[in-house]
Amino acid sequence: MDVFILFSLVIGLMLVGVPIAVSLGLSSIVFMLALSDTSLAAVAASLYNGMAGHYTLLAIPFFVLASTFMSTGGVARRIIRLSIAMVGHLPGGLAIAGVFACMMFAALSGSSPATVVAIGSIVIAGMRQVGYTRDFAAGVIAVAGTLGILIPPSIVMVVYASATDVSVGRMFLAGVIPGLMAGFMLMLTIYVIAVVKNLPRGEWLGWGEVWAAGRDAGFGLMLIVIILGGIYGGVFTPTEAAAVAAVYSFLIACFVYRDMGPLARPEGQRNLTLLDKPIALITAFFHRDVRNTLLESGKLTITLMFIIANALILKHVLTDEQIPQQIAGAMLDAGFGPVMFLVIVNVILLIGGQFMEPSGLIVIVAPLVFPIAMELGIDPIHLGIIMVVNMEIGMITPPVGLNLFVTSGVAGMPMMRVVYAALPFLAVLFVFLIIITYVPIISTWLPTLMMGPEIQIR
Amino acid sequence: MSGAGRYEPRSMLGKVVHEFEETAIAVMLGAMTLLTFVNVIMRYVFNSMVIWGLEVVLILFAWLVLFGIPYAFKVTANLGVDVILNIVSPRTRYALSLLAAILCIVYALLIAKGAWDYWAPFAGLQQTTGHWFPTGFDPDTRDRAFFETDQVPMLEWLRWLEGAINQGETYSKLPRMIPYLILPISAALMLLRIVQVTIRIARGDQTSIIVSHEVEDALDEIAKNRRGEA
Amino acid sequence: DPNEIVIKFSHVTNADKHPKGIAATLFAERVNTEMNGKACMEVFPNSTLYTDEKVLEAMLQGDVQFAAPSLSLFEPITKEFRLFDLPFMFKDIAAVDAFQASGTGQEMLQSMTRRGVLGMGFWHNGMKQFSANKPLIMPEDAKGLKFRVQPSDVLVAQMNALGATAQPMAFAEVYGALQTGVVDGQENSWSNIYGQKFFEVQDGITETNHGIIDYMVVTNVDWWEALDADVRDQLKTILDEVTAERNAAVLEVDNQARQAILDAGGKIVELTPEQRAAWVDAMKPVWAQFEEEVGADNIAAAQTFNQ
Ligand code: NA
Ligand code: NA
Repeated sequence: MDVFILFSLVIGLMLVGVPIAVSLGLSSIVFMLALSDTSLAAVAASLYNGMAGHYTLLAIPFFVLASTFMSTGGVARRIIRLSIAMVGHLPGGLAIAGVFACMMFAALSGSSPATVVAIGSIVIAGMRQVGYTRDFAAGVIAVAGTLGILIPPSIVMVVYASATDVSVGRMFLAGVIPGLMAGFMLMLTIYVIAVVKNLPRGEWLGWGEVWAAGRDAGFGLMLIVIILGGIYGGVFTPTEAAAVAAVYSFLIACFVYRDMGPLARPEGQRNLTLLDKPIALITAFFHRDVRNTLLESGKLTITLMFIIANALILKHVLTDEQIPQQIAGAMLDAGFGPVMFLVIVNVILLIGGQFMEPSGLIVIVAPLVFPIAMELGIDPIHLGIIMVVNMEIGMITPPVGLNLFVTSGVAGMPMMRVVYAALPFLAVLFVFLIIITYVPIISTWLPTLMMGPEIQIR
Repeated sequence: MSGAGRYEPRSMLGKVVHEFEETAIAVMLGAMTLLTFVNVIMRYVFNSMVIWGLEVVLILFAWLVLFGIPYAFKVTANLGVDVILNIVSPRTRYALSLLAAILCIVYALLIAKGAWDYWAPFAGLQQTTGHWFPTGFDPDTRDRAFFETDQVPMLEWLRWLEGAINQGETYSKLPRMIPYLILPISAALMLLRIVQVTIRIARGDQTSIIVSHEVEDALDEIAKNRRGEA
Repeated sequence: DPNEIVIKFSHVTNADKHPKGIAATLFAERVNTEMNGKACMEVFPNSTLYTDEKVLEAMLQGDVQFAAPSLSLFEPITKEFRLFDLPFMFKDIAAVDAFQASGTGQEMLQSMTRRGVLGMGFWHNGMKQFSANKPLIMPEDAKGLKFRVQPSDVLVAQMNALGATAQPMAFAEVYGALQTGVVDGQENSWSNIYGQKFFEVQDGITETNHGIIDYMVVTNVDWWEALDADVRDQLKTILDEVTAERNAAVLEVDNQARQAILDAGGKIVELTPEQRAAWVDAMKPVWAQFEEEVGADNIAAAQTFNQ
């Protein structure tokens, strides 16, 4: 009952227009002060420790930074060229290439909205030029962009790992096959629609173009090898991998592609090389472009972590009131088996996803359902992937759907029209969610192969 | 890349403060990244280790976000749900936005009391009494100034703290009052910024305390790409 | 029951397998049955409420009443506690137990009362062993390797004395880091090495018994002194009995963990007396570095229990 009041308060505040972070924090504080002796100092401590006490969450600012360098530094443009060269000639070619480009960018970026911005801002305009409707283009990209959190690296996986103490490396591996599968399901859907509706296709530009585009995009795509190779080759931890990715992206953007930083020249002119201006090696660190990229990433990190830190306050209050145990007890007493439990988890997350930003929601829901899942013998990695796929769906359903916001901005159309445009592909994602939920091996096979059987850290 | 976003400071002082805030955010994020990167290189290539590296990065992370929260209120970067705000009449919207802003002030006040009560004992100062609201200072506050960080070396120029708050005892590591200092600073700045936003909303200069800032970034991005295509 | 005193005990291990978790659960069960109507103890395991690093702060603030952090965590408060991290200070758990029961040991429980921390008793986990991605037989084998240690100056110095690098790392990352080779080794008790399955990703565990993992049950002085005398006495009695019972069982838990590692195919390197002496020679110089902080008299007092 108390919990019900708490969550109603959170949602009520959000609907009035209170920032999500404050809605979470204020409701939790009021609830806590009213029901217990716990001090406000504990709340402040929780706010500070949201960052300083969660080593794993440190990956968030680093992945955000890497992703920002990647999209401003011209990597996205080169990935799109490669995608078009490879699959643009198929029926529905440019749309399929859009999905394929989203998959590749997802492998560089930890966030879904970032993927939509990077790929969508170029591909949607391109699709309209060759004759697709604006709605079709927006729908494809809004949904394909959600792969940003399923294909590793992924901020949402980092948050899940932090909340449940499972290994980030394992979660990343677990996302690979589901990510590829979801991508191919979307591409197949587009292919079928394209054949039926006779949608436009591009020209096959030959292997020469594939080779040239691949070489050009190669420096960006190398990051996948660096991240995964570094983690599984024992060079660095997943958190450190994120920092290495950020530094690598900075180097690529400033010194290889030179679309930003001291060597960049206005469009139309040839960018300088280091030989032209060797001092750039030093000035790059202080260049206005670099400072602005850091600032943009900083801003995103701040707003994201403000929500997560307040979600951690809510989590602290729930724990303090022993609510996870009560819920677990109630669910186990009701005799739910794993199948029914997973249905309930899906429903909770789908409803929660209507209101909440994914990372914040994971922080709150994971501690509530994790102990029950362990009790029922559900694999923690599998549970994590289920949660991520639910979050993907949450991102393209109103009222709070980050991908909807971003896509409506990128495509220049009202949010509700994006919602309708995304519906057919959302349906595909729903089918995918059901498959993922009831076929655990899709998630667990690769991590088990690479890292041995799952161990329970606790 | 929009750099400043939508917010434009007007006064000279406002411009200086704005530039300082944005540069500080960029510098802290850059420093965290470089320090982590350097530690990887140190370990993998030189087989050695900056032992305080990890702890300092985590402190910077907390500082980045806590320092940034007031900034995020100032430039209206906080994400929220605007479905209701978008369907109601302008008058209702005005009332709801003002209510939301006032609730944010309440939040900031509660955080401010918590931040002070948390930090004060580490600085040898008195906590406030009262469960919800400060009702006075508590002279029985037990001093926690002795509490040191795990690995961060003591800074020589802060040695005066030993006499000032630590009863003359030597600090072998940086005392925790230094990293935790960001909490009261952040809470005070947050209160200031939210009050300013509330006044702007009350005057009708601004419509709400939340924004789907992602849209703005995206629009900036598109604008930039269009320029690129032209 | 609204008239009961609510006592919160926050710790970081599981509630039913780890020596500390078992003891905390037993403590709470006994308080809740024997003190029904007077007090009610809620245990928060698995760092769900606070991590070891933050629990002392929360206890001083009065947001939890009991905690049992590892002894290294008290070093930021009182450098004396570095005694327990010094390598080869105690020859076995019995020596640790005898020292803690002695005058010096009991004084250490009281040594932080002016800081607001009251020690109520020591709980054991076990002696520390080294594990690495290659068998460590002589101390030279550790040279150039990277070891995950708890963030303590003593442990860093101990690794440096071996020519190895100390690497602080979040506990949750250790298994993965050992597996991929981000770090080469670590030090821990048999229970922890088994519980965390570290033996699966290491090529050998060397039975050095070079250190101890031990916890101190602590409470907030001000809270404790404000309790009714009878409540205080009953709590203390229950805690003492739980402590005695669980500490007596710890050697058995330790041996079970060691055997379980062998049964699961883990490799254990047993040292000859000469080999072990070489480890002692390599690491004992660390004592001199910390003698001033720890106190020569404390070291001497600890040594009397090694005969
Ligand atoms: Na990704
Ligand atoms: Na949603």
